[in-house]
Amino acid sequence: MTRKIAIIGAGPSGCYLAQALLKQDATVEIDIIDRLPVPFGLVRYGVAPDHQGTKAVSRQFARLFERQGVNFIGNLDICTDAHGGDISLDDLRAIYDVVVLATGLSSDRKLGIAGEDLQGVVGSGVLTRAWNDHPDSKDSELPAPGKQVAIIGNGNVAMDVLRILSKQDHEYEGSDFGSHHAESIAAAKVERIEVIGRSPAGMAKFDPVMVKEIGKSAGLKFEIHDLDFDAASDSENPKIAALNGLAEIEPDAKRCTISFRFGWSPVSFIGADGKLNALHIARADGSETLELPCDMAVTAVGFSDDQRLGRMDLIESAADLDNGRLGDGLYAAGWFRRGPQGTIPDNRSDSQIVAAAIAQDLATMPESDAPGREALFARFDHLTDYAAWQRIDEHERASCTEGRLRNKLRTRRDMLKLALNVTETTQ
Amino acid sequence: MKINILYGTETGNSEMLCEDLESEFGDDHELEIMNLAEVDPADLDLSVFHVFVSSSYGDGELPASAKPFAEKLEGSDTDLAGLSFAIFGLGDSDYETFGHGSEQLADMLVKHNAKQVGPRVIHDAQGDDLAEDVAFPWFAERVAEAEAMSDAA
Ligand SMILES: Cc1cc2nc3c(=O)[nH]c(=O)nc-3n(C[C@H](O)[C@H](O)[C@H](O)COP(=O)(O)OP(=O)(O)OC[C@H]3O[C@@H](n4cnc5c(N)ncnc54)[C@H](O)[C@@H]3O)c2cc1C
Ligand SMILES: Cc1cc2nc3c(=O)[nH]c(=O)nc-3n(C[C@H](O)[C@H](O)[C@H](O)COP(=O)(O)O)c2cc1C
Repeated sequence: MTRKIAIIGAGPSGCYLAQALLKQDATVEIDIIDRLPVPFGLVRYGVAPDHQGTKAVSRQFARLFERQGVNFIGNLDICTDAHGGDISLDDLRAIYDVVVLATGLSSDRKLGIAGEDLQGVVGSGVLTRAWNDHPDSKDSELPAPGKQVAIIGNGNVAMDVLRILSKQDHEYEGSDFGSHHAESIAAAKVERIEVIGRSPAGMAKFDPVMVKEIGKSAGLKFEIHDLDFDAASDSENPKIAALNGLAEIEPDAKRCTISFRFGWSPVSFIGADGKLNALHIARADGSETLELPCDMAVTAVGFSDDQRLGRMDLIESAADLDNGRLGDGLYAAGWFRRGPQGTIPDNRSDSQIVAAAIAQDLATMPESDAPGREALFARFDHLTDYAAWQRIDEHERASCTEGRLRNKLRTRRDMLKLALNVTETTQ
Repeated sequence: MKINILYGTETGNSEMLCEDLESEFGDDHELEIMNLAEVDPADLDLSVFHVFVSSSYGDGELPASAKPFAEKLEGSDTDLAGLSFAIFGLGDSDYETFGHGSEQLADMLVKHNAKQVGPRVIHDAQGDDLAEDVAFPWFAERVAEAEAMSDAA
């Protein structure tokens, strides 16, 4: 009997999970469901538009749908009953043998300090979704890039934000960065970017290669402060070596100064008339404080749950969280299971572990006549499929401007027009 | 011909390429595919032609699944004399250290007296070519060379 498996979330962890499950048991029938009309999660909507090599992992995922018989069901939002959505998690569990939550963690973690709601303060998730043309991102949420920017956080996402704010328009050749974004950043003529990290430089979260990459753009001058903060500065440390490399750069014509500060915590955002004009930071022991003028601040301090699936309760009552078991026939993978840490490869090994647990449980799971996707098709007429994504993909590639790889459709409406119309006429 | 294909990977592109090699060449040759993470250099069968496939990470380092193999080989006096191998890299030309992972692995094998057959070619994740489109003709040529060598011997 064919087991019906629904994986919610078509990001890396959902896709790797399908891949690993098929290796364990080629007879299972897998549907990957996403609330967006299109697949690939943060590979399409998080990974930086100028890192196409990293986005190319979606070629691997495409195979699942093109050759391995996995179904994509898009434009279906799963929620707890309290949150509306298209279908509740309980209803979905009733029509599948196995349901896996691989919905990631998409909300920006808040700093919880005064002034966070001032105009000009934005979370890195909101910002990078906008830069990647996520259909739910609203231009109105987005502050115009300022002349003086503060970035709070030292992880790779903070480095993505820093790089994109400091690169020049012509450097986006071969990317899929929308020209409207590149133009608005160029028009802002950013003069100074302050990057604030809590830990000492040698323990910062970024990968050295991400820091080195920032130095490749012409016209940037770097100030590296606090290298001696806390731990003795060890020039052998690859992170410190990368920062020292930046400090040596002498630009011919300086466009922008980038200042790295280590060992500081944000205290408050300061503004007037609802608008940001400075960031107040302090040493952890309060021994020193600084006020950095800025008209844009980006918080890049991690991600949290959007609470629409009742994650806290599910995680707390999980039967065996280490292997992704939440309850009978219910599993979790990826960022949803582990929290917002880890790269694409981490999700691959993670999903292999969860797939092994599912395969083991399937062996003893009682037979069922779960209807699977048929029940969804009977109930909804707005679902998108993989062929719809292929049409959107083709359209985006064909309509791109000179020097770009694709021109992303920016609204659900435009996506659904391409996705659903054609389906109707071919049916 | 019997060919052992060993891959090092992080996001799975190298593994997928090996599966493609299996579908393309598996009918004509006896292929065995293994993750480098599960291979001890001391256990390599020196009489079998080996094809290595490896990506690069960090700053030109080996991918996680190849690291234990490389560390064991590096620190040992394992003699690979008699082993012929070819090596294919996966990389991204955005990095200055384009293809350095596979280069490290090739150098290490040669240092332990293995003999490299043909050039090391690197697929560029930035480019338009699919890895299999670059690797299939490369693989066919390397296998032809290896066959010629074993006929001559
Ligand atoms: C800005 C940014 C840049 C990054 N850059 C890199 C990088 O360069 N390299 C790297 O290795 N890693 C990078 N990462 C990390 C990487 O993106 C994550 O490790 C990975 O995407 C997590 O995978 P996931 O499948 O758990 O979640 P996601 O990729 O977030 O996928 C979750 C999917 O679930 C869907 N979903 C959510 N809620 C629902 C619901 N209620 N119903 C139905 N569907 C739902 C979403 O639409 C989404 O498609 C980056 C992360 C961010 C935030
Ligand atoms: C964080 C990161 C670092 C990378 N570093 C390099 C590098 O130094 N040199 C290179 O040629 N490719 C580099 N790459 C590109 C990968 O080698 C390439 O994407 C490859 O296709 C991955 O194959 P895999 O899935 O088998 O690991 C890097 C990729 C990432 C995500």
